[in-house]
Amino acid sequence: MNEQNITEKTKKDEVIGALLLDYAAGALESPLEILVETHISLNAASAKQLRMLMQLGGILLEECEPVSLSEGALDAVMAEIARGEVDEQTAKQDNVVAFTPSHEAKDVTVAHLPRPLADYIPDLSCDKSWRKISKGLSQCRIQFDGTDVEANIYRIAPGTSIPVHSHEGTEVTLVLSGGFTDETGAFGPGDIAIQETGATHKPVADDDGECIVFAINEGNIRLASPIGRVLSYLVN
Amino acid sequence: MENLSDMRKNSLVSGGSSAFNTYMGTGIVNDNINSRAELDELLVRVGRYKDKSAFASLFSYFAPRIKSFLLRLGTDMSTAEELAQEAMIMVWRRAETFDPAQAGASTWIFTIARNKRIDRLRKDGRPLPDMLDPAMMPDQPETGLEAVNRTQEEDKLRVAMKKLPEEQAKMIFAAYYEEKSHREISEESGLPLGTVKSRIRLALSRLRANLDEHER
Repeated sequence: MNEQNITEKTKKDEVIGALLLDYAAGALESPLEILVETHISLNAASAKQLRMLMQLGGILLEECEPVSLSEGALDAVMAEIARGEVDEQTAKQDNVVAFTPSHEAKDVTVAHLPRPLADYIPDLSCDKSWRKISKGLSQCRIQFDGTDVEANIYRIAPGTSIPVHSHEGTEVTLVLSGGFTDETGAFGPGDIAIQETGATHKPVADDDGECIVFAINEGNIRLASPIGRVLSYLVN
Repeated sequence: MENLSDMRKNSLVSGGSSAFNTYMGTGIVNDNINSRAELDELLVRVGRYKDKSAFASLFSYFAPRIKSFLLRLGTDMSTAEELAQEAMIMVWRRAETFDPAQAGASTWIFTIARNKRIDRLRKDGRPLPDMLDPAMMPDQPETGLEAVNRTQEEDKLRVAMKKLPEEQAKMIFAAYYEEKSHREISEESGLPLGTVKSRIRLALSRLRANLDEHER
């Protein structure tokens, strides 16, 4: 590994570290949160790291200086619990989205995206909104409720060279299947690539299979504390 | 609001070392709770037997901390109170799924409080993943020793946290509690952004190293 590769690897690890920290702290916009969860389902090392960060959250909770609740808070809670138990049978189950670590990336297609992404995106194989961008490259826009963040699924045919392009907003890309290589290195299933505003790159898809990626672009929208926070890692 | 402003004053970023010492190492000795194992045991009892007195003990330990945690994140007093209560209701309802081999009570309840807060903030109402689901945890329990391992892992993390140089630990605290962007941390602390970033980076890699060591 030459020096530049080491730097790129460190940078990638840092980006992931920052994303996971923000995730644990609950500071991400929902599409980015889904991206991180899907990344975790594909990457055991990140799942392990997140486990540590959640433990850290537990430790920090213990260390919080207690602030008393209002008088009668426990009684109110017990009353609510008793009320809830009456109609517990009819109440709908809390949303359960199980992560499936070490997801089989080779089985991923646009019809079968990895979870939990698949819980938000239906089978896209026959979707009408696929749009051909250039030879070997198609895009399907994904709308997430309640946010203006632009999210897309891209399909890239094996071996396709995507023309040099720049990004208007910061773009975070998660590889779902296949892989690509650009100036900053090689990306495979579960890897996350970040393109800063104005950065140009020229990705080339691996030639051994279709490459499917999930990309989130903050565009021109000013977000509360989403990608910008991660980005602050990279600036400087 | 007095409490909140006091807490802001004690903010780890602007505060001195005394603030730091206040935050580490006081978590367990008070509140008539003698050990973390006791917290786990209480939660198990709630899950298995719907034990109301165990729940009351958990409530008196965790609810004021959840409220404090939320206040630190900038939640207003009445919402923090409400969310702390809602989180504890969720603790009761989900207690059956608590598995001490997978996570300690504090981690488990932190996750619930985190999700409650996000639910409230979020307009789109995206269902949050069930991070308490055993499948979320990369290592499935196989033997009774797992709970012991898990406890050791958390204890090691606690030790590693305490060993962190204070300036690094402060940054980690700030990133969690105060949901501060690195730029904000930089502005408030007067430290150059690069310094803030390298401290968080160092702190995280030390904690990660601790985790890897645990595996060997």
